[in-house]
Amino acid sequence: MSGTGRTGIDAKSLLDIARHTLLADIVPVLSGEARFKALMVANAMAIAAREVHYGPVKAPGNDAAIVAAIRAGLHDGDTIMARRLQDLAQAKCRISSKTVEKAD
Amino acid sequence: MDEARRAPLSAWLPDGTGIVGMSLMSGGAIQQNWKLDVRVGGEPQGWVLRTDSTATLSHSRPRAEEFALLQAARRSGVAVPEPLMLCSDLSVIGTVFFIMRRVEGVAAAHRIVRSETLGGGRAALTASFGRELAKIHAIRPTQAGLGFLKKHPDMAPGLRFVGEMRAHLDAAGTPQPILEWGLRHLERHAAASAEIVLCHNDFRTGNIMVDDAGVTGVLDWEFAGWGDPHEDLGWLCAKCWRFGSPHEAGGVGPRATLYAAYERASGLQVDDDAVRYWEIAATIRWAVIALSQAARHISGTEPSLELALTGHIVPELERDIMRATS
Repeated sequence: MSGTGRTGIDAKSLLDIARHTLLADIVPVLSGEARFKALMVANAMAIAAREVHYGPVKAPGNDAAIVAAIRAGLHDGDTIMARRLQDLAQAKCRISSKTVEKAD
Repeated sequence: MDEARRAPLSAWLPDGTGIVGMSLMSGGAIQQNWKLDVRVGGEPQGWVLRTDSTATLSHSRPRAEEFALLQAARRSGVAVPEPLMLCSDLSVIGTVFFIMRRVEGVAAAHRIVRSETLGGGRAALTASFGRELAKIHAIRPTQAGLGFLKKHPDMAPGLRFVGEMRAHLDAAGTPQPILEWGLRHLERHAAASAEIVLCHNDFRTGNIMVDDAGVTGVLDWEFAGWGDPHEDLGWLCAKCWRFGSPHEAGGVGPRATLYAAYERASGLQVDDDAVRYWEIAATIRWAVIALSQAARHISGTEPSLELALTGHIVPELERDIMRATS
C-alpha cells in the first residue's frame, strides 16, 4: 500500500480524516460565504481521496486518433467502442461524482 | 464599474432622476448586475444596471444586443424586466451598460425545484414555462431590430450545433472522445427544422424569476439566437438542469404539462424525439462550457476551487451522453 512504509498513514486515510475534521468541527461554526467555500474544500478532498484510492483514469487509447475516427464515421454503430467509452465515463464518475450509480 | 462611478452615472440619468442606493447584486466572470434604487420625480423605483465584467465570454452577447433582445421579448409579451435605457458611451462608467426595471421573486434553482408552492405549484409553474417559451418562439427572423443575430440558411440546426461544438473543442485543444461520440450521434440524426424561431438558449430553472403566482421575469438573454423550437425545450428538460429533482421539466413538473401548455400557446406541435435529441445536445453543450471553465483554472490564468470543481461535473454529463446514445 502506498505511504504505509514510514508512517502507516496512507494519503487516502489522511485526506479522509482531514475532511471528517473539516466537516465535523469547522464547517458547523462557519456561515455564509466561508461555509460555502469550506464545503467546496471538503468536496475537493473527497474527489482527491477517491482518485488516490482508485488510481488515475486510463485513457481508452490515443484520444486524438479516436476523436478523428469518430468524426470520420469509422466508429458508427461500433458497440465495442461504445462499451469502452461507457466504461471510461463510469471510471471518471467513480472519482468525480458524489453519487455513483451502478453501471447499466 | 464601482462606487466611484456613481457621480458620472447620476449625471447621465434623465433630469429628475436621483440615485438613492446602489449595490452590487451579482458579479460573475462575465457580467455584473447592480441594484439601483432611484427616485424618478420623487417616486421610488427599483432598477438593475447590467454591464460587462472585464473578462468576457467569446459567445456572450454584448450588452446593446441583449437590450434589443429584451425589447423584442417584451413586445412579444414575454415576462421580462422592462428595458429602460441603454448607454454605449464608455465615458460614463467605463463599459457599455443598460438599465432595466427590477423584477421581484426567486431565481435560485435549488429553492424552486424543492418548492411545492412557488409559481402557483408545480403544474402551474411548468405550464407557465411552456407559455413563456411559446411567446419567445413567436419572435421570427423577420422581426425588426434583431438583424445582429446570425442567420444559418439551409442548415439543419443540429448540424449547426455540431459544427459549433467541434470548433469549441478544437480551440480548447484537448480531445474529448465521449463528447465527440455524442456529437457524431447528433450529426447522424440531425433533422431539418420546420420552424426557425428565436431561441433563448439558456431557458432553465435558475434563469427564470418566479414568485408565488408565476413567472415574473425570464433572465439572461445573452445566448439567444435563431434555431429550432425544440432546442429550448430540450435545454429545459435536460437532466443536468433538473438540479437533482425527479421532475423532468426543469426539475419543476411533468414533461407532458410543459408540452401541452407550449402547444396550446404556440400552435406548434412538440416532437418528443426532437426534444430528447436536444437534451443530448444540452448535455454536450453544458459539458463543453464546464470544460472551458475548468480550463481557466488548469491553465493558471484564474486559479479557482469553484472552477476546478466545475470540471468534475463533466464525467456525469458524459455518462448521461453515453446512456442516451448507445
